[in-house]
Amino acid sequence: MKRLNLLLVLILILSSVLSVSAQDKPFDGQTIRVVLANHAWTDAVAPKIPEFEALTGIKVEWESYGEEQLNQKLTTEFIAGNAGVDVFMTRPLQEGANMEMNGWYYDLAEKTAADVEYDFEDFTESSRSATTFNGTITAIPLVTEQEILYYRKDILEENGIEVPTTLDELYAAAEKLNDPANEFYGFVARGQRSPLVTQLSSFIYSYGGDWFDRDTYTATLNTPETLAGIEMYSNLLKNFGPPGVLNMHWAQCIGIFNEKKVAFYTDASSLYPNLLDPTKSDVAEVTGCAVFPAGPAGAVMYDITAWGLSIYAESQNKDAAWEFIRWATGKENSLFIQGEKAQQLARTSVWNDPEGIKSFPADWAAAVAGSIGAKSYDRPLITAVTEARDLIGGIVVTAIEGGDYLKAADEANVKFQEMLNNEKP
Amino acid sequence: MAAKKTSMYRTQRRIFSVLYFVAIFILLVIFLSPFLWMVYCSFKTPIELSKLPVNWLKGLTMDNYQKVFVQQNFFKFIKNSVIVAAGSTFFGLLIGLPASYSIARHGQKKLSMLILTSRIVPGITFLLPLYIMFRELKMVDTYTSLILAHMLTGLPFIVWLMTPFFESLPKELGEAAVVDGASSLRTFVSIVLPLSVPGIVTATILSFTFSWNNFMFSIVLATNRTRTVPVAIYNFISYASIDWGGLMAAATVITLPILVLAVITQRYVIRGMTAGAVKG
Repeated sequence: MKRLNLLLVLILILSSVLSVSAQDKPFDGQTIRVVLANHAWTDAVAPKIPEFEALTGIKVEWESYGEEQLNQKLTTEFIAGNAGVDVFMTRPLQEGANMEMNGWYYDLAEKTAADVEYDFEDFTESSRSATTFNGTITAIPLVTEQEILYYRKDILEENGIEVPTTLDELYAAAEKLNDPANEFYGFVARGQRSPLVTQLSSFIYSYGGDWFDRDTYTATLNTPETLAGIEMYSNLLKNFGPPGVLNMHWAQCIGIFNEKKVAFYTDASSLYPNLLDPTKSDVAEVTGCAVFPAGPAGAVMYDITAWGLSIYAESQNKDAAWEFIRWATGKENSLFIQGEKAQQLARTSVWNDPEGIKSFPADWAAAVAGSIGAKSYDRPLITAVTEARDLIGGIVVTAIEGGDYLKAADEANVKFQEMLNNEKP
Repeated sequence: MAAKKTSMYRTQRRIFSVLYFVAIFILLVIFLSPFLWMVYCSFKTPIELSKLPVNWLKGLTMDNYQKVFVQQNFFKFIKNSVIVAAGSTFFGLLIGLPASYSIARHGQKKLSMLILTSRIVPGITFLLPLYIMFRELKMVDTYTSLILAHMLTGLPFIVWLMTPFFESLPKELGEAAVVDGASSLRTFVSIVLPLSVPGIVTATILSFTFSWNNFMFSIVLATNRTRTVPVAIYNFISYASIDWGGLMAAATVITLPILVLAVITQRYVIRGMTAGAVKG
């Protein structure tokens, strides 16, 4: 009898324990499929996934792919419909408008509004607006980047040149330092047709130009302001750029900068480990970072959200999927990923915390801090992004080659307007 | 007079043979240098890779290979690729050889055109239907689905390579066998196939290589379990950073099996070619 009592007590205790844990882990036993990109953010989060699984009882099946491959795979699975994807990484600027139009994103508005602890308002405004399409919150902003100026501290010092704060100063300094006879060049940036468009954007914005008027959907590729930005960018590359610049993407630009052959380089802040990490770069000690130089309209650089984390609209496990996202992008994890793993995230509280910026080089962090809140896009935000980039890049290529870029701009503007007419809501 | 002529011929021949070797050497340099550069870079540290002029002996390391095999576990991806490539080639031959023999013997031109259309239509057209089909059959991320998809490119190729080969074999051989009482199957297996080894070897190498390099079907139809090497190599390319050393090491590693296969089977191909030459 005594034994039986003991057994009963044990059962009671056990069942209460079990019921408590069941309350704690409402998603216990669920499995979610998470499709990520090959990215330093993924490398930072992946080792912590077992922690999340232990915490929630959710089993995470994750996989990761190269940027374009990820897009190809997701698009195929989504078009086929009823895909087994729950959470996926996405590029709001590149495919956001398109995927939103296809209804592939689950609107996160309800989840973020209901979750006070998560504090969605903590994300910078530009990052939140970047992932919101037609009122739908398509993704949680993951990593951001801004266009900044990289320069050779030693070269500037030797020649008694101050760090340029305006584009005109940059032009003058590049001219002074340019010495092609000795294979040293004043300036480098992307010269490849399509890739250059994003880095051209800050030049155009700083002259007061833009791709198109977002209210009236009028193309503005041949306005005096936009043309002035294009002229500055292409003249820098044409007059002071290294040979073969038309074939340069960021990897080639980094290469020639690391070969100590260039004084100035404008590109994304996210590329900094390639230049400032002593195990990867020979110029780590002598490379400086500065805020993008100002034009007549001020220093208007892009401050974009390169990647976001989304829930697939047809996911069968939306609650468990949100549990994963709120864990991965919550305050605690964000502080870890930015503070320890040096990833550039979008949470204001993390940027304000000294722990959050301890891994960043000081001048880089200052350059980035000075850019936050600028334009949230670095390319036209339309569904036909690829075609538009080709069109715009073509104007710059013509200018660098010394062709009639004014005519090219007029022609591109007409074609771009046709695209916009199709996109008009 | 005669002696002078002979010596002239000799000089001429010597000049030709020198030119011949120079031409071979130039060709070798053109074709081999990117390959050798890849192998060399796979032993360099990231910082030394970007330096010019090249310091040939500085910054050599095995780290890149450690990344390939330990961090990324490329053994698994290679295993997957071998299974899929061998599987699709084996079944491609199993179906393709009898098919092309039949086409060759009975002049089934329409049939062979039909098979060819699956090569003419771009592979991406099949991607979505295949994906939907395999998903409904719960076969995504299985070897079977990959092998079947890769056969789509391998099989027509085998048929089109082997049909002319079988056509070139003298019909009389088969007829003689039939007179001696052999069945068509027996004739095919015991007479035709052994004579066709060089063709079969060529078809095998090429079909294997097609499958080995196939990216499109592998990216969509495979996920973690059956990921093949062309997809896995992208693990070294990440947003805003490319691990060139690791990439070169991985590229070297995945080129190796094909290279070994080619070297091993090469003598069969050459034997086949010379056999044909002697016959005249």
